[in-house]
Amino acid sequence: MRATHPDRSGQVERDGVRLGYEMFGRGEPTFLLLPTWTIVHTRFWKMQVPYLARHYRVVTYDGPGNGLSDRVTDPERYSVESYAADAVAVLDACGIERVVAVGLSRGAQYATRLAATYPERVMGVALIGPAMSLTAPLIERADIADKFDQPYPDNPQGWDKYNLAYWHDHYRDFVEFFFSQVFSEPHSTKPFEDAVRWALETGPEILEAERNGPDPDVPDLEIFDRVKCPVLTIHGAGDRIQSHRVGEAAARLSKGPLVSMIGTGHMPNVRDPVRVNLALRDFAEGLAR
Amino acid sequence: MRAVYPHQEAEVDRDGVEIHYEVFGEGHPTLLLIPPSPITHSRIWKGLVPNLARHFRVVTVDGRGNGKSGRPTGPEEHSQEQTLDDLVAVLDATGTPSAVVVAHCHANWWAVALATAHPERVEALVAIEPGVPYLGTPQPHWVETAPHWDEIIENPAGWRLNNRHAITTQHRRWIEFFFGQQLVEPHSTKQYEDAVSWALETTGEVLAAGEEGFDIGVPDRETAEKMYRSLDVPTLVIHGDRDICQNVDRGVAFAEATGGDLLVVEGAGHLTPAREPVKVNRAIREFVDKIKGVPMSSQVWTRGMDRRKRALFLSSPIGLGHARRDLAVAQELKKLEPDLEIEWLAQHPVTAVLAAAGEKIHPASEWLSSESAHMASEAAGHELHCFQALRRMDEILLANFMIFQEVLDEGNYDLTVGDEAWDVDYYWHENPELKRGSHVWMTDFVGYLPMPEGGDHEAYLTADYNAEMIEHIARFPRIRDRAIFVGNADDIYPDVFGPDLPKIRDWTEEHFDFSGYITGFTPPTEDQVAEWRAELGYDPEEKICIVTVGGSGVGRDLLERVIASYPMAKEKVPELRMVAVAGPRIDPDSLPTQPGLEVHGYVDRLYRHLSVCDLAVVQGGLTTTMELTAAQRPFLYFPLHNHFEQNFHVRHRLDQYGAGRHMDYRSTEPDAVASAIAAEVGRQVTYDKVETDGAQRAARMIAELV
Repeated sequence: MRATHPDRSGQVERDGVRLGYEMFGRGEPTFLLLPTWTIVHTRFWKMQVPYLARHYRVVTYDGPGNGLSDRVTDPERYSVESYAADAVAVLDACGIERVVAVGLSRGAQYATRLAATYPERVMGVALIGPAMSLTAPLIERADIADKFDQPYPDNPQGWDKYNLAYWHDHYRDFVEFFFSQVFSEPHSTKPFEDAVRWALETGPEILEAERNGPDPDVPDLEIFDRVKCPVLTIHGAGDRIQSHRVGEAAARLSKGPLVSMIGTGHMPNVRDPVRVNLALRDFAEGLAR
Repeated sequence: MRAVYPHQEAEVDRDGVEIHYEVFGEGHPTLLLIPPSPITHSRIWKGLVPNLARHFRVVTVDGRGNGKSGRPTGPEEHSQEQTLDDLVAVLDATGTPSAVVVAHCHANWWAVALATAHPERVEALVAIEPGVPYLGTPQPHWVETAPHWDEIIENPAGWRLNNRHAITTQHRRWIEFFFGQQLVEPHSTKQYEDAVSWALETTGEVLAAGEEGFDIGVPDRETAEKMYRSLDVPTLVIHGDRDICQNVDRGVAFAEATGGDLLVVEGAGHLTPAREPVKVNRAIREFVDKIKGVPMSSQVWTRGMDRRKRALFLSSPIGLGHARRDLAVAQELKKLEPDLEIEWLAQHPVTAVLAAAGEKIHPASEWLSSESAHMASEAAGHELHCFQALRRMDEILLANFMIFQEVLDEGNYDLTVGDEAWDVDYYWHENPELKRGSHVWMTDFVGYLPMPEGGDHEAYLTADYNAEMIEHIARFPRIRDRAIFVGNADDIYPDVFGPDLPKIRDWTEEHFDFSGYITGFTPPTEDQVAEWRAELGYDPEEKICIVTVGGSGVGRDLLERVIASYPMAKEKVPELRMVAVAGPRIDPDSLPTQPGLEVHGYVDRLYRHLSVCDLAVVQGGLTTTMELTAAQRPFLYFPLHNHFEQNFHVRHRLDQYGAGRHMDYRSTEPDAVASAIAAEVGRQVTYDKVETDGAQRAARMIAELV
């Protein structure tokens, strides 16, 4: 059973794509928990929703390609601009004016675009383990982009598996490898199982389409100039996907606070949910209404 | 001493009535604290000012009729209108465009007036036990006595003292009755004494005028209630539910009318700022933070399992003995728990000892109010009434506790060790929800004991303090995870805690573990004695007499008396060499001189001199006398007059070891001092041995909690 069930749920259609959303609670302000990489769906917020919904209204939705949304293979639907437009469509459908937008990993790109493009809809942005092009990538991931479309080696190891052909041939093995890196904390069996299961609700053809999506109109390094609301960044110092330096850069560029979580990996909201929940609440309480 | 002093204080002249104000702190916003005058003045905020001023700017005002303000006796001079203009004048004089107004009791009526007449000057209102007209049920004693205000009543008693004639002719009786009724919480002796003493700073005439002036200009019920509902400021109401001045339903109704937040303090009476200062401090701070929307700041959080084990040590700065023994315990603890990181929250002079040993001192230590300076300020001549001095240290202990709690809330400590950290022990029992981590309490005496000169009243007070401590531990055994008595069961003074209270020894044996005494050093062997004497320049043929009063400023009188005895003693013992140590707080050049007498200021590692001397003349403090006991040296000790610990606890312990010669300062003239020196110097003594493993034993007890 889920800890909290939505007060309202449904699908909103934008340009022919149906997006599943859920709404919880009734307090102010509203938290919009954004999607992230399509490899998981909205249930990755399951440790935030019950707590936040006791104090605030919470809206979650799935982006195209996983969860309660259509499985879209058109790369155009995976641009950051499209994600921002999806978010606005969901807010309109829910009748919500302004939100605190929370983005995990790639979701940080959507949250910042949303705030930059629709400033009247966003009163605050929280970035968790942001995956943004703000620094050089981690050394072990430095060449994955170059090798992505190449044939993968025999007996691939580690980040060799971040490879299009490998995804199609051994999707589950890639997923298991990836989440073994996401959850760098010991004793993460349950979060790992959850994430793998969510990943298996979509597939390599969807991730391929997403991967082929267009580059953002505004590079990550410039987006913070356009974000006028307060920004909180939370980053695990043990993050093996996105270096803690990315979080540091996001905090520096946004001139906002940084919560550094020592010993925490790429999904602090899953692995250290109590601290993240309290930080999100502190952030919301400190925002001018 | 106060815990903090204002950085600005002055008066504004209001048509010939001076209104005194004080300004503390530099934060934002400004809090304007208004006392219900003239029955009291700004010192009612003494428990709040030190803490609030660390976070905000605080302006306190003495309302007309008390404190350092004027004492007008006309009722019209105490009207709401007059008081309102006083407040505006103070805001203007302090350059305060707007403030969060904190008011108690009927001062809330003036706060309402201020927010109504000058809404731009009031950012928010904290209404404590609000005495605003009409709301809720009035207390029957006010209703019953009001019609008789102007009558002359024969032998009035109780609430019938609430009468112009009674108040103007029997001021003190009314005040004592009134505050006796208000402090419904047990063990409120200090709060009661404070409240009465502040009320006695004004006269019955002024009090009566204040009562009558309050009613001037109070509108009808409908208008007043409309004023409350129209207040357009965030409001927090704090109200004790056993308040018999302003019924709690008045506070509840005020919160409803203003749409404000409500904190009902269950079990509390009319004076929550004095009686529940921790809760009130925290509630005000949270409220102000909330309305100001405090932005988040950057922080580092470490996963639980990635954390190093951390301990916070608190070492009492009253007397230097704690520093050395706590350092010894900490060093033993590190041997047992090499991964344990120890930080210290401590103040001068403890920090000097810790810094020299390379210990890590928490930066918040800088904020602590000085307990040793307070103790020094309480001493006069060879006298320190340490029980009353501790009681009068209440606001300093509270101020330091609030700092401690903030450090603890942010520090992820697994363990706190408080060596006579009275503030933590007391306020954690009073606010048990604030405890974090494991806690070790250490002390070398248990039980406040009355000095004979204090008579029955002091016996009542010490018993009340002891009873409160016994009740604390019985109700919340989880606060002290371990209680360590630095000594042995035989050291406990053979008495009871008070009438109908347990024997100190029985109770202590039940509630404490015993570490044995902790000297913090190993006394020299006989060979070493000769070696050290040679190093220190003491000839084997000389009879070395060290006179020391430790690190405190309390001791000049004793030094002077012993110095005066020197020529007589020298005559009796020609090989006598007297070395007087003034310590860091007494200027050695200010002491009288004698030919042949040596006077030093600071002496490095004084314990080495004491361990090899032929006689020491000291005060009655535990640390120095026990060092001499451990080193098997003869010594004369003069307990400070009226110091219960030195006169009872320490003396009893020394008797257990058969150590030292007790001397009474008042009755011992210099010639008698000289005779005692002559009799004792160089005497072979065989005291019971002092254990050398006390620090190890204490560390083992603490380590079990890590």
